[in-house]
Amino acid sequence: MPDIRFEATINGRKVKRSAKPHQRLLDFLREDLHLTGNKEGCGAGECGTCSVFIDGVLMKSCLLPVAKAQGADIETVEGLARTGELSLLQKAFHKAGASQCGYCIPGMVMAATAALRANPFADREEIKERLGGNICRCTGYQKIFDAVEVARDIQNGQATMSALDEIDAEAGDYIGKNVRRLDAPSKVSGALKYAGDMVMPGMLHVHVLRSPHAHAKIVSIDTSAAEAMEGVEGVITCDDVPGEDGFGVFVHDQPVMARGKVRYVGEAVAAVAAEDPLTARRAAAAIKVVYEPLPAVFSAEDALKPGAPVLHDYAPDNITTHIPIRVGDIEKGFAESDLVIEETYSTQAIEHAYLEPEAGLAYVDHDGVVTIVSPSQNITHHRHMLAKIIAKPIAKVRFIMSPVGGGFGGKEDMIYQGMLALLAMKTRRPVRLVFSREESIVSTAKRHPSKTTLRMGLTRDGRIRAVDFRMIADGGAYGLSTEGVMRKAAILGAGPYNIPNLVMDTYGVYTNNTPSGAFRSFGALQTQFATESHLDIAAERLGLDPFEIRRINMMRDGAMTHTKQKLRSVSLGRCLDAAEQGSGWEKGVPSQRGDTRRDLDRDDIRPPVSLGARFAVNGKQEAAE
Amino acid sequence: MARKRGRGMAACWYGIARTATVDRAAAWAEIDDGGSAKIVTGVTEIGEGILTVLAQIAAHEMGLKPEDVVIGDNDTARAPEAAHAGATRQTYMIGNVVALASREARGKLVDVMSDIWDVEPETVRTANGEVWAENTNHRISMGKAVECCKQRGVVPVGSASFGTDTTGLAPEDGAGRPWQAYVFGTQVAEVEVDTVTGEVQVLGIWAAHDVGRAVNPKGVEGQIEGGIVQALGQGLMEDYQLKDGHTTTHGFAKYILPTSLDVPRVNSFIVEDPDPIGPLGVKGIGEPAMVPTIPAIMNAIYDAVGVRITELPATPEKVLMAIRAKEQEESQVAAQAAE
Repeated sequence: MPDIRFEATINGRKVKRSAKPHQRLLDFLREDLHLTGNKEGCGAGECGTCSVFIDGVLMKSCLLPVAKAQGADIETVEGLARTGELSLLQKAFHKAGASQCGYCIPGMVMAATAALRANPFADREEIKERLGGNICRCTGYQKIFDAVEVARDIQNGQATMSALDEIDAEAGDYIGKNVRRLDAPSKVSGALKYAGDMVMPGMLHVHVLRSPHAHAKIVSIDTSAAEAMEGVEGVITCDDVPGEDGFGVFVHDQPVMARGKVRYVGEAVAAVAAEDPLTARRAAAAIKVVYEPLPAVFSAEDALKPGAPVLHDYAPDNITTHIPIRVGDIEKGFAESDLVIEETYSTQAIEHAYLEPEAGLAYVDHDGVVTIVSPSQNITHHRHMLAKIIAKPIAKVRFIMSPVGGGFGGKEDMIYQGMLALLAMKTRRPVRLVFSREESIVSTAKRHPSKTTLRMGLTRDGRIRAVDFRMIADGGAYGLSTEGVMRKAAILGAGPYNIPNLVMDTYGVYTNNTPSGAFRSFGALQTQFATESHLDIAAERLGLDPFEIRRINMMRDGAMTHTKQKLRSVSLGRCLDAAEQGSGWEKGVPSQRGDTRRDLDRDDIRPPVSLGARFAVNGKQEAAE
Repeated sequence: MARKRGRGMAACWYGIARTATVDRAAAWAEIDDGGSAKIVTGVTEIGEGILTVLAQIAAHEMGLKPEDVVIGDNDTARAPEAAHAGATRQTYMIGNVVALASREARGKLVDVMSDIWDVEPETVRTANGEVWAENTNHRISMGKAVECCKQRGVVPVGSASFGTDTTGLAPEDGAGRPWQAYVFGTQVAEVEVDTVTGEVQVLGIWAAHDVGRAVNPKGVEGQIEGGIVQALGQGLMEDYQLKDGHTTTHGFAKYILPTSLDVPRVNSFIVEDPDPIGPLGVKGIGEPAMVPTIPAIMNAIYDAVGVRITELPATPEKVLMAIRAKEQEESQVAAQAAE
């Protein structure tokens, strides 16, 4: 199809350009006009980070073919601060601390602008509903609501601009002060460049071919058709790795691209660098891979059974890690107990869902230094691993950490930087890879799904005498952070309580599922969920208030931890007091007493949500109750 | 009544910085021309607010305003090692090392000024971009003080390294010192359970967390609020599902995340039990913020409707099935009692 002649007013300026008929408005704005303030988060209209105004209406530019905006008046986040001065809402986001990673924030600012345009007097509940189409993964939204409320009040004369002023600490004491975030202006304005926003002259675009099989032998890879395509500058497979192929946070068991076999669906098998993303994608599809499917295993329990398919030769029992902790004599402890409670707990895999999908740029500089720019959470370690993989001295490998649009542990794995380095070396040109949301979801680490069996013995007066704790976690196809996650799960799992007799075992197990890896709270979330649920069961059985049973057992100053470390100061008692008093907790046994509690429905909660539009707009009710 | 309220609580603990291994970080500092400052360390914002925290610490230590501090990029070829952005380690490891490097840079400037003014170094004060000597008329801008240093051939720079006194775990019983700083926390949750649909709404969370010393309280709240909402997602809705290794939740239409309508009002209570080892007393908050949330919510669901969810997530279907199973059990017990 021929190019279209596109005319529109963009941020107050007339624009006339040719555009591709298949182009989305988002790509046209970002790639052709270099307006990278609005981001791509999902490409499916679900996250809102690409939101722009089309003739004054908030729309998701990832869903809009550019031709649909022909002749329109388009406003992007760059248009809000046209004079260089931030808009009132942008200033309010800055003051309120409403931005964290910042990736969702341009879209969020657009949605908030739309909300206050639609109803300048919107209350907090209406603001929430009007922001309901925009996802933020960092902030928990509260400070965003605060920001919109401050802007609304200033706009309506109920507050003054001084509410946005920076504090000036007396005597220069800046510890403990709510200094406004220094990075916020660049985030609320869309000026900050994330890796996927960066371009370099002569830059090529990368597409990765991924495994459609959970477990299969690779019989052959034929890249000749892809290499012969016009615009293709380089194709790589594991054969292009010059050094020791393997990465991982603890055990280096994952090749840059599959070597000999694939172990999960979505594993990288080959990669292409081409003049444009479409050519790269077509060339990747032209690579012919012959697979021979192997028996696969999809649960940790099955992987531990004798005769289960083995993923890695070095671990014939499929166990990545086992962490044991032992204190006292468990049998004696249970014998001394008046009450023994046993329960099983399970947790699911979850996705980090940072709004910024993985992206990176690589080039070889004038001194032959292989340079990777990416939102890596651990450039120090990545540098060591990549140097071995590409067989260069450490000083010839350079990692630059670009602004991270959300990480939560998910960007600790060197899952794609190896491919970028190899393609930059092979093509001698800068290369850029930007993951789609789907690609990010299938190919990157998840939180370890877990199954825990917990047996706890207590005396009649609520003292824990024995704990037998066993967690089995599905680590998926590669080790990534599994070893560390199991270690933290074990050290912290039994909770901050004095337990004289303890058997704690955590196991990380290989399966053909998507690999599990680092995720904020790193194993401690799964194990302490079990322990803290269990303590409430025990409290009910023993007739104790839940705060009380924890106080009876809690570690105090000078306590010995389960790993036999003597603690200095233990603040748990202060935290229990603060939460109990702060919430106005009514003491009592946790025996389904919700109906009779008198501490509910205070002023410091939010109202429950009920469905249905219920807002007056311009004096008219949108819909009847 | 179709909707029932309940409350639950849970506590937690967490270790600060890398686990069961020696952690370390380094930084360089310079008080620059015009009275600004440069801090170079291997760290970049991942959203938690570390750049602002480091600027506050450098400003506090050197006697500048935070907006006068420039933080260099995280670049393995241009900045000293500060290792990874994770493990609730940035404020602790990098905050402490920036304080130490800033002190050294300030010390060089103070030495020059005390010599020029002929006063004891301890009487030289720096704050908010000014340098003065106590009980004297000597008072100049930081920019002027830097000029004085340079005329004497001194560039006020500092560098520092900060490491932890930690060990691995013994392979038999796990004995060891995995961290030198620990934090604790407690959260209370209030929920409303719809007994017709099984839907759980978390209306309020009261979160008390020890952070050592809060450098930026609003930033700490931001970490608590964000952590709680991520935990709420895992507790109630998020579920990465696979069928024979293929995901069935490949986008945000299938993989459900908390939105603005799902989040509770979070009331944060910052507890400060300063770390006795590091120079600043700071510890951390990023990860521990989400540890007690899920059990607090599950305990609150039990309080509201008497069902204990032990398999996450507590989706409406799962809660409803548990409520129905409980009702059935209760009616059978009642029927048996009547016989």
